Amino acid sequence: MSWELIRDILITTVPLLVIFPSLFAFTTWIERKALARIQNRIGPNKTGVPCTRISLFGLGQPAADGIKMLFKEDIVPKGADRLFHLLAPIVALIPAMLVLCFLPLEFPWAKFVQAPVQAFLLDGAVIFFFAITGLNTLAVFMAGWASRNKYSLLGGMRAIAQMVSYEIPLVLSAVIVVMLVGSLNAADIAAAQKGYQWHLFTPWGLAAFVIFFIAALAETNRSPFDLPEAESELIAGYFTEYSGFKFALFFLGEYIAMFAISGLAVTLFLGAGEGPGVAAVPALSVAWFIAKIFALIGIMIWLRGTLPRLRVDQLMAFAWKFLLPLSILNILIAGFAWHVAKSGAGTGLKAVVWIASLITLYAVARGLNRISRPEAAPREYKYAE
Amino acid sequence: MSLLGGGIVKGMAVTLRNFVGSYFNKERLVTNDYAWRPKEDAELPQSAGQYPKEEGEQLSDTTTVTNYSRNFPMLLHDGKEGDTPMDTVRCVACQICERECPPQCIYIEKMYDENGKYIKSPAKFDIDVSVCMSCQICVEVCPFDAIVMNSQFELSTPDRFGGLLLRRDDLLKSNDYYHQIHPGEAAARDQRMADEKAAKEAKKKAAAEAAKKKAAEKAKAEAEAKAKEAEAAQAEGAEEKSEPEGGDSKEATE
Amino acid sequence: MTQETAFYLLAIIAVLAAVTAVRLRNLIHGVFALVIFFAALAGLFLLLMAQFIAAVQVLVYIGAVGILLLFAIMLTERVTGDDGRRITSRGGFWGATAALGVAVFVLLPGIQQTDLNRLPAELAEANATAADANATMAPPHTVEALGKRLIEPYIITLEVVALLLTAALIGAVAVSQGARRVEDEEEASP
Repeated sequence: MSWELIRDILITTVPLLVIFPSLFAFTTWIERKALARIQNRIGPNKTGVPCTRISLFGLGQPAADGIKMLFKEDIVPKGADRLFHLLAPIVALIPAMLVLCFLPLEFPWAKFVQAPVQAFLLDGAVIFFFAITGLNTLAVFMAGWASRNKYSLLGGMRAIAQMVSYEIPLVLSAVIVVMLVGSLNAADIAAAQKGYQWHLFTPWGLAAFVIFFIAALAETNRSPFDLPEAESELIAGYFTEYSGFKFALFFLGEYIAMFAISGLAVTLFLGAGEGPGVAAVPALSVAWFIAKIFALIGIMIWLRGTLPRLRVDQLMAFAWKFLLPLSILNILIAGFAWHVAKSGAGTGLKAVVWIASLITLYAVARGLNRISRPEAAPREYKYAE
Repeated sequence: MSLLGGGIVKGMAVTLRNFVGSYFNKERLVTNDYAWRPKEDAELPQSAGQYPKEEGEQLSDTTTVTNYSRNFPMLLHDGKEGDTPMDTVRCVACQICERECPPQCIYIEKMYDENGKYIKSPAKFDIDVSVCMSCQICVEVCPFDAIVMNSQFELSTPDRFGGLLLRRDDLLKSNDYYHQIHPGEAAARDQRMADEKAAKEAKKKAAAEAAKKKAAEKAKAEAEAKAKEAEAAQAEGAEEKSEPEGGDSKEATE
Repeated sequence: MTQETAFYLLAIIAVLAAVTAVRLRNLIHGVFALVIFFAALAGLFLLLMAQFIAAVQVLVYIGAVGILLLFAIMLTERVTGDDGRRITSRGGFWGATAALGVAVFVLLPGIQQTDLNRLPAELAEANATAADANATMAPPHTVEALGKRLIEPYIITLEVVALLLTAALIGAVAVSQGARRVEDEEEASP
């Protein structure tokens, strides 16, 4: 290992390890503020600069939370598996951090890098992304099992079932982009969308994006798919028995995973770092990338403030009977459209394909929605008349 | 034919309206000045500032909660606020709510007098509010309108087990109090109860009248029968005067 | 000699994890030891510049097989996985003999017969690219080569395998549906 290689690795990884955890703190503040406003509350507004009365809209709250978490007592239940209880938050955080390096963030200082250490230039970047995010499931199960608590175990079991089910539509909708671009390389996918040829702006790309986003919500256990950590049912599910710093690690891992999967959505469908002014100032591309990630996270927060939690049967029916058939159909349509475009068809034919695929996708989605919806019986009272 | 996902969009529009509105319309901020309250409560005194401004400030009286607040159940009685004579308590300890309660946080014991006879009142009625999930199913199923939702929220206590177990006497509240906290709902409930009572009474009256009529008819028929018999007896009696009781005894057996 | 060190490290981890997976009494611990073994194997694939195989190793073996094993354990009674029952098996001798036999009669001749200088074309190319990567900044294109190979000469094999897997999937669904129907009938006729 030469000194240059170590320097290059540091140049490429340290920014990721600094930027995203600090964005995490900011995101928790945004989330608390936004949810509060949605519920006509104010949200954190007291904590600011210590020892003064400057509150800065409560921006000191994440720091205060962090300090509280650090100094809290670390409680391990009596019957718990101590090793796994310790390992679980670490295993949850590592894959989330690891996949950040597959996002095509072109930092301005990347030109000093000489060795091929930028992971998003890997030929299989997208498939690595999915492979490594899958490890998160293991961490969740580890936490649920090691706590020796029925709620935790239930949360862990729910998490595995949910994550395994939603990984399929997630990957299948990403496959469309890989198919259209012809590469698993994140930088190639970003380059293919140059000139505002974002995949979002095609019918199949739009459908794939919606499926991807829904599946991403489920993968990161966000509301309305937060069954594994349902506070009101499972008392926070798999991290019922976690406190203090371990809980903070879980929390951090979850938010980093949100950033990562939003980043992948931005790469695949929203033209990566493309935006006004990038041509003149290349450094702006990172800013645009992060802004797009924040737009997606904003929608996630908005949805959390809007939708109630799904039932378990609804969750499974939605994944297997709605998202999966729709994404398979979408692959067929995208393949057909790609062939039409490649055969040098005129604008008229292309427009026909566009409209036809839009109508087909919508009609099939409606039909699937009607078929797949589980029936809910009215509540029956056993003892009252 | 509704748009696919239209419901989600509609819901998101509602939350967006609340989000934006909370920045422009100060009256929306429920937790800030208690300024937002329904129109019918407008004349109630406004509490100033955020809660709790001063140490030991108590806000969970009837003036600080809105009409729509629902927290944990309470038991109604028809007496005056403060004193709770057991004969005005609406609950009859039928235990429907106890059995219907999803988290099973209600515990009821029936009341018996010294002879062991069941008098329709609860001897014990405990709700563990640390378990209660505020679902209102007990309110829905109660056939006697005895259990309704309270809006008292200051239940914090240093005693984790005893302090959160509300006993019968903690739960008993007067109908007047109910009118104060949830005027609309209480009025509607009273109206419905009155209607039901009136309907019942009307039915009873009708039944009584019918019974009376029936009785009268029966009496009439009997009288007629008697008269007939008497006539017959008289007619017979002209020939056989020796056994007049035979007819009477025959009627008695009928 | 970083690569050699990494190889020995990963190899030792893999062997230790494999032995632990077999020897541990707690089933869940065993599964996680197996997961460590899979991860070490993925690392070995990466050392051979086989990125795609490494990614698939993680995706399929850790992400799917590991999770499937956990699922299977959760469906049994021993969810906690820590009851003290020891499996008493006297197959140890035969197992060791079989392993030794495979090592002596299959692995060793295989290793001896391989001419390490005559690497497959793609791998050699990839190694070459990696060697002068400092100069060109071009990452090795092994996934592309693999994809071309799969689609061009081995297309029929690929399709047949895909068909087989689909048939297996449908078969699994049919079997589970059949089982449910039998259950329903049993419930219907007490």
